[in-house]
Amino acid sequence: MTTVDGSSIKKLIVACDAGMGSSVMLAGQLKKQLKKSGVVVEHSPVAHIPQDADLVVTQAGLADRAQGVVPDVPVVPFQLFLGDPKVAKIVKAIQDGTTVEV
Amino acid sequence: MADTALTSLLAEDSIRLDCTAVDRFDAVRQCGAALVAAGAVDESYVDAMIQRENTVSTFVGEGVAIPHGTLAGKESVKRDALVVLRFPEGVDWEGNAVSVCVGIAAAGGGHIALLSQLAEILLDPAKAEQLRTATSAEQVYSLLTPSDDDDD
Repeated sequence: MTTVDGSSIKKLIVACDAGMGSSVMLAGQLKKQLKKSGVVVEHSPVAHIPQDADLVVTQAGLADRAQGVVPDVPVVPFQLFLGDPKVAKIVKAIQDGTTVEV
Repeated sequence: MADTALTSLLAEDSIRLDCTAVDRFDAVRQCGAALVAAGAVDESYVDAMIQRENTVSTFVGEGVAIPHGTLAGKESVKRDALVVLRFPEGVDWEGNAVSVCVGIAAAGGGHIALLSQLAEILLDPAKAEQLRTATSAEQVYSLLTPSDDDDD
């Protein structure tokens, strides 16, 4: 479990292996959902996750690699590209400025 | 009608609606071959696509997969391009049935708007159904044309 404080998230990274497919699709969705919250949402290859990220979401199979790149940043693995319950909880926590366990 | 930005990324020749594949790797190879035919990638990109599929599945739900290469495979990409291959009989994707593959080659970010639109389709079961059952390139273009209500 990872504790996510929605109010502290300013930069959310969606990571995938190449940063050209799945992460692009999810990042586009999150950008729309979080536009009003003023959060920067970017997609990135796992190997190039920026160190100033506040939170990383990535496919379950890539989470360990992502954590290796940014050891101090919370990494939340997801199973479903679209409509994943964990991702939905994070979006809500950011929108409401609340803290969730995911 | 499809606009030129869309057709330069997804050529009409790259929309193939009546494909069959013996398994998901066959389907990925066909997507790769279509990207090669579109002049978007070198042959070596196809191996990168297979490698990626082996590592992490590109199944994204609603009967759709988005095969693409790895970070290393980006060197084989000549230009951003997409292909749409439909497999009416379905392809087994580790237990999921896939009937549409959107093959992706991207060196830059030219394809981002189109992928965002694909996400919109996948979140709308009725539109996803339309994509899975599309029988003309015109229908595919119409579904993938970004809507103007992005600022709501």
